[in-house]
Amino acid sequence: MSTRKQKSAAVSRRAFLKKGATVGVGATALSGLGSRDAEAQNFWDMSADFVSIGAGTAGLAASVSALDHGASVIMVDENVDIGGHGMCSGGQVHLGGGTSNQRKFGVEDSADQVFLDWIRHDHASSRYSDRDLVRAFADENAATYEFLIENGVRFQDHLTGPTAASTVPRQQRSVQWPVASERVTAYPTRVGSGLVRGLEASAREKGAQVLLRHKLTSIVRESPSAGRVLGIATTYEGRTVNIRATKGVLVATGGSTSNVDLRRTFDPRLTEEYQVAGEPWSRQSGDGEIAAMAVGAALWCTANQTAEAGSAVTKTRHIGCRWGYSSLIWGEEYLSGSALGKRVFERARAGGLTVSDWHDAILVNRIGKRFWNERDSRYDYYAAALAYTGDPSKLNGGGPIWAIFDQDAVVRNDWNPHPPDVDPDGYFFSADTVSELATRIANPYQSKPIPSAVLQATVTRYNSFVDTGKDLDFQKPTPRHKIQRPPFYAAWATPILHDSLTGLRTNVKTQVIDTRGQVIPGLYCAGESQGGFAQHGLGRCLVFGRIAGREAAQNAGVA
Amino acid sequence: MTDKARHRTTVEMSRSVPPQVEAGTDLTLKVKVACPAGCDLRGRLVKVMAPTGIVVQRELIGFENLTNETDEFVVTAPPQVGEYAWNVVFPRHELKGVVHEESALTLTSRIMPHPTSIAVWDVPSPVVVNSSFEVKAGLKCLVSCQLPGQLIAVRDEEGLQVGEGKLGDTPWPGTSALYGTKVNLAAPIGEGTYSWTVTFAGAESEIPHEDASAAFSFRAARPPDYKVTVTVVEEDSQTPLQNVQVRLGVYRALTDEHGLANLDVAKGEYDLDLWKVGYEMHPKTVNVTESVAIQVKAVIAPDKDPDDERVWM
Repeated sequence: MSTRKQKSAAVSRRAFLKKGATVGVGATALSGLGSRDAEAQNFWDMSADFVSIGAGTAGLAASVSALDHGASVIMVDENVDIGGHGMCSGGQVHLGGGTSNQRKFGVEDSADQVFLDWIRHDHASSRYSDRDLVRAFADENAATYEFLIENGVRFQDHLTGPTAASTVPRQQRSVQWPVASERVTAYPTRVGSGLVRGLEASAREKGAQVLLRHKLTSIVRESPSAGRVLGIATTYEGRTVNIRATKGVLVATGGSTSNVDLRRTFDPRLTEEYQVAGEPWSRQSGDGEIAAMAVGAALWCTANQTAEAGSAVTKTRHIGCRWGYSSLIWGEEYLSGSALGKRVFERARAGGLTVSDWHDAILVNRIGKRFWNERDSRYDYYAAALAYTGDPSKLNGGGPIWAIFDQDAVVRNDWNPHPPDVDPDGYFFSADTVSELATRIANPYQSKPIPSAVLQATVTRYNSFVDTGKDLDFQKPTPRHKIQRPPFYAAWATPILHDSLTGLRTNVKTQVIDTRGQVIPGLYCAGESQGGFAQHGLGRCLVFGRIAGREAAQNAGVA
Repeated sequence: MTDKARHRTTVEMSRSVPPQVEAGTDLTLKVKVACPAGCDLRGRLVKVMAPTGIVVQRELIGFENLTNETDEFVVTAPPQVGEYAWNVVFPRHELKGVVHEESALTLTSRIMPHPTSIAVWDVPSPVVVNSSFEVKAGLKCLVSCQLPGQLIAVRDEEGLQVGEGKLGDTPWPGTSALYGTKVNLAAPIGEGTYSWTVTFAGAESEIPHEDASAAFSFRAARPPDYKVTVTVVEEDSQTPLQNVQVRLGVYRALTDEHGLANLDVAKGEYDLDLWKVGYEMHPKTVNVTESVAIQVKAVIAPDKDPDDERVWM
């Protein structure tokens, strides 16, 4: 890698653009110049063989792989540190096909079995996937696990499964990164730090350069719909930093669930109110997909996003805070161990009240009505939560979902209905009566107040179901607790979006394909921004990241 | 004799007055007075007049962008419901040969009764037919009025008053301004599920309040014939399990520290259903023809990691 920026770079850049370049939305085209042009050289601030947009799970694996194959590497990331969602993940890596860990636990597996499992027609996680990609995934599974071991990733001494479409155990969990200051959470099951920090350490040792707080603005191609991808444009502290990639640019920006417009491309119900797992630590911004589409890239296998399998949409587990995903508790007690954690907590503001039994609350929609059995966590529940409520001013999306409960529920659960466990600034409310509670609920996504009479009627009717033991509306099994003892509470419990299960079209070498079915030379994609394969999680990010780094490093590139 | 300079003035409100104001509550005002010549009128007074006379006199203390302004001040809405008007007047005055003419602005607002709402809790269910039972009820004024001594009534499904309570002197513990009371009631004479209503007649209060009501439900059951004692133990350790919710038909109880729950029930056949987070207990049907002791074994449910269903997050 080298830095080639000239002291007159700004002037040169203007002259260069005047001469021939065009700048589109999300794409910069170096029309007719090619990389040997002297002025084009001045366009670039930095250069490497391989540039990964994103330093998360896929970008890290790709970078290490590219370095192993002789390429110089720059990773850029918009966040303040590496890791992306992988940093706060459960570190559960779904890799099999005959790994050393599987042999250790006596599990027989093969690449063929991985392939057959993940093209199953009887499982929604595998039914709609591109079998070419699944074949490549299967063939590289075991080698990717060993690659992780060789690069210092440590796993806990167990193997679990089978899960999802797999028919044999293939799931192993990383060991939490031992340096507290380099984790965002100390929660016992949020151990993904061990995976991403392990890969980061290996990448840095092999010579990777990591540029944080660099936000992608465009992918630079010779022309908007033809020629080779030459590099990327980013912004850092308000100024432009253009980075040349002689062998390849990787889109590894983590998916699109944080981007309302892009996620609604796949599911129009997913309007602005929904939570996103992994936020506020990192975003699935869709930047990579948008920039790649601006240079002609196609999307692929979009059905996977709405196949209603896995974790595309999930239920809130920690209520009364903005983000309450699964065991990802942004509680002060888990975050105060590091400066990174403190920074996240400042944005999250509360860890939420953990719900272990949905008998303790009812869930109401934006007009104050129950909409489904609260104990259900299947896609039928999400469909009801995202349904039209009858309010013509809100046709798409279901609006906020609120958990309504009383002081008895607080006592039963030993909840603390005060900051820092809850966020009273829009996500948690209390009142002396149910009717008053309705008037208290004010939130950016609650465009109209909940009618007091409706909420009171909802609670009264639910309480009558407790008397009779039968939920006549939604068949919640034997409703257990009345909501009757003041004070009363309303806690944010809007569903959480998780997986990006569709994205850019690639071939088995992870080369991005355009809308005419042609390879876009020099552009690669891996991780949750890649379409074609609906497996949830780290496994496919690692496998295709590793493939991308290798393939880019081995291509001829440009001089 | 020299003609005096005459300047017209205008009065405006710095913030708009809400079209509706609760009776007896404070309304914050801030007044702006402008002279087209841009005169500095600081030190002059603005008067707020009500039908009953001058309510407030306030000095203009700010002068910015050629506009004079008072600080924020408060007037209190009258306790009567209905349309109400205040006149904000900048009186004529003369200084150094310049006369500033009087100007005025009328503020109108509808004076509203205070919204109220009711909570009802500690409702036993089932109650025994033709017996007495007690519920707790509380009234909240959304403007947080003190409500000691106010009366609430309990009405049955036909609207007949079946009980009455006088609200206590202080807010109910744990609430901000819910004034509560206990109400003794006579249970219906027939079995079944009932929905009664606690009501508050706001017009009868000194400061006008809106009427409020809240329904509550309960079951009425025959007098108990027998005692059913349910003991719940954890199967492996044989230790008693506390806080298991026991439901035998309409009868409900919680197990104590000895794993015991006692239910007084009428003769009949019931579904026994038990519930505690983290445990599995099988429901069964119980035909109660005499006092009976039932032992239930609870099995620890597999420890479910919320991430188990996920491959990575």
